[in-house]
Amino acid sequence: MTNKKYVVIGLVGTTLDNGAGPERWEKWRPTVSLCRHENLIVHRLELLYQKKFSSIVDVLVEDISTVSPETHLRPIQMEFNDPWDFEEVYATLHEFAGNYEFNPEEEEYLVHITTGTHVVQICMFLLTESRHFPAKLLQTSPPNRHKSEPGKYTIIDLDLSKYDEIASRFQQEKREGVSFLKSGIETRNKEFNRQIERIEQVAIASESPILLMGPTGAGKSQLARRIYELKKARHRVVGKFVEVNCATLRGDSAMSALFGHIKGAYTGANNSRPGLLRTADKGLLFLDEIGELGLDEQAMLLRALEEKVFLPLGSDQEVSSDFQLIAGTNRELNSFVTEGKFREDLLARINLWTFRLPSLKERVEDIEPNLHYELEAYTRRTGNRVTVSKEAKEFFLKFATSSNAKWSGNFRDLNAAVTRMTTLALGGRISLEIVEEEIERLKATWYNPNQPSKEEMLLESLLGKEQANQIDRFDRIQLLDVLSVCSQAHTLSEAGRELFASSREQKKNINDADRLRKYLARFNLQWQDIKNISEDI
Amino acid sequence: MLIIDGSFGEGGGQILRTSLGLSLVTGTAFRIEKIRGGRKSPGILRQHLTAINAAAKIGQAEVVGASLNSQQLTFIPKKVLAGDYSFAIGTAGSATLVLQTILPALLLADGPTNLILEGGTHNPAAPPFDFLEKTFLKQINRMGVNVTLELVRPGFYPAGGGQFKVNIKPVKKLLGFELTSRGEIISRRARALVASLPTEIADRELSFIAQRMSWDKSCLHKEIINNSRGPGNVVFIELESENLTEIFTAFGERGVRAEAVADEAVKEARHYLAAGVPVGEYLADQLLIPFALAGSGVFTTFGLSLHTTTNIEIIKKFLKVNINTKQLGKLSTTIEIA
Repeated sequence: MTNKKYVVIGLVGTTLDNGAGPERWEKWRPTVSLCRHENLIVHRLELLYQKKFSSIVDVLVEDISTVSPETHLRPIQMEFNDPWDFEEVYATLHEFAGNYEFNPEEEEYLVHITTGTHVVQICMFLLTESRHFPAKLLQTSPPNRHKSEPGKYTIIDLDLSKYDEIASRFQQEKREGVSFLKSGIETRNKEFNRQIERIEQVAIASESPILLMGPTGAGKSQLARRIYELKKARHRVVGKFVEVNCATLRGDSAMSALFGHIKGAYTGANNSRPGLLRTADKGLLFLDEIGELGLDEQAMLLRALEEKVFLPLGSDQEVSSDFQLIAGTNRELNSFVTEGKFREDLLARINLWTFRLPSLKERVEDIEPNLHYELEAYTRRTGNRVTVSKEAKEFFLKFATSSNAKWSGNFRDLNAAVTRMTTLALGGRISLEIVEEEIERLKATWYNPNQPSKEEMLLESLLGKEQANQIDRFDRIQLLDVLSVCSQAHTLSEAGRELFASSREQKKNINDADRLRKYLARFNLQWQDIKNISEDI
Repeated sequence: MLIIDGSFGEGGGQILRTSLGLSLVTGTAFRIEKIRGGRKSPGILRQHLTAINAAAKIGQAEVVGASLNSQQLTFIPKKVLAGDYSFAIGTAGSATLVLQTILPALLLADGPTNLILEGGTHNPAAPPFDFLEKTFLKQINRMGVNVTLELVRPGFYPAGGGQFKVNIKPVKKLLGFELTSRGEIISRRARALVASLPTEIADRELSFIAQRMSWDKSCLHKEIINNSRGPGNVVFIELESENLTEIFTAFGERGVRAEAVADEAVKEARHYLAAGVPVGEYLADQLLIPFALAGSGVFTTFGLSLHTTTNIEIIKKFLKVNINTKQLGKLSTTIEIA
């Protein structure tokens, strides 16, 4: 039920609506019949017609005034040279829609698509779907037996979200898409899940460049491939997935690898080469570590993105390729721009859909589901089922989620750890011993004695090398751990809570922040300095 | 406020029309819920909306819920204004039903009223114009009022577009009367109307009636309509008795033989003759409201239809009257208003 007035926009049906003499009342005429329904009042009827059919319109005006005194009928002349010419019909109706003064607050619009050529009907549908007509579709059909009845009408709302069943299908499809992008891993990190949901939407709807940021091993490359596969499953892409790490493209060969060359372009170019951009035509090109791309290549890439054409090496003939770009980087491209290492215009072009993938350390709650995933992946890969004992798993996760676990290589480290543990698992079971051994191995990787740790560098930056070296080893080990916690905490209180976690449970007056501040003061250190400097390292 | 259950009894549009009519006469505001709750597609249809709007206009009423497919309506009338009105109804819907809704109030209004009604005048879903003119209003005019009708042009389904004029000279108080016997039959007529259709249809209908009723040719009347908006065919059997005229109607339909159409009217007429009562089914329904307003009167009709008993219950909600029904035989009931 609506209190809005119904306005129908429709074309005169030159065959169906045609009729003269009393026999016309025995015939089903869609435009007259739609004004005869007991449960629909057409308050206004915008009747589009061509001049040569005005005699039909005259009869319709008379008959509709009789059967529907409530209807205000407005014949609107509209000429087509060829009502089967899609381009002409679309343009004419598009112009009509553009000039029409819609008043959706008070009127509800129905576009009648039963009359007119099929091309007209298609154009009306398209213009309604694209909201040029802010309307619903109106489809009418003749009665079954008695020809004098008005028949049926159906109002079709193209806003698919209005239909529960369709909406739940879309929800399901979206869930499947999101799950697919996460390789089926039930990730728990809110930020990561939110990012993936967005990526799913963008992957389905957009062909614009996507920029994936995040540290090495955060899963950029894996995600790019998944995006491609999702697009392919949804028929959004037909070409190939082409992947290259820009850090491996150096010198002259970079140009050639990306943009191709013709035979004889340079010494040794015995054959022509299409280049990665052309291989990715109608597909998806993933350029990892895009910050490493040379400036010349950047300029060429920008043109290829904007105009979809570029020049292969040695060629004076432009070639075209239409691909979607996903760029990956673990660098702050903004500072690259400031330093003149990255073109500002290229960054602007690829910075439309930017997603920052968190490091594994920032999503420790996802270590457990990823551990399960890696174990299953191993089983699938090798055919050998490997399980992990409950206490071994708990021990591993306790370490993995603690601040001692740096996960500097992110998922690459986790993957390597699982591969080692599964390989060493006797009888297909990962024991506590194997986990303990692996933890030592991981620590050794992360705390290389020959290389100063991040905390050591932080300490030197804060106090200067000379002063830092004067701290006793006894104090130094404690201080380095405190700095490690501080550099990851957002506030002094947060760091205090973590550092004094055990004792604060027993205390009545909790003042971790104050304790920490006093401790730092003993070394002439201040919270804000630690934060400022740790961000630069 | 008086609450009416629109799904009660027969559960159709009559409950709405009776409520509107009596609300206007008595000045009683009401709310009707579950409008046409007994129908497959409940709620207000276009013909009802026209009746509501017409009632609202003559009664200067405040109305809430008067929209298509609405299942609830609140109607708060003020004073009924006699005067000149014109109402048009679409979909060839019956203009006679619109008149039926507003007539009771206009019979008792302050001054005379001239109505022009447009739409269907001969619609299978309602009493035709001829019934209003020859049967119903003849009886109404016995109550002290003077109502005259003039058919400008008939409106058939599906084209509609008929028109008739109504002139109403009201009274302060309606007088009830007694209609318990029909008296001797003094005239028999069969009329067949054709508009924009082969006249042979009328000939076949009439000769079928003459044969079945054993009537003389002088009783048969063919009428060719030239001024209607669309094609149509109706056949009437009219029985004029000393106390009233009853009319039995059948409508020509595409794909139905002329003889079969005429046979419907014949069956109804025979049923009436066999029952021996004066008041037919439609007239019984139509007389209830004026008799109830008069506060007195008695008439004899067939067995009670659900339509009639429903109507009685709705009337009792608006008026303090006793309506006693007494079954006399299988095909005969007396309805007495006191």
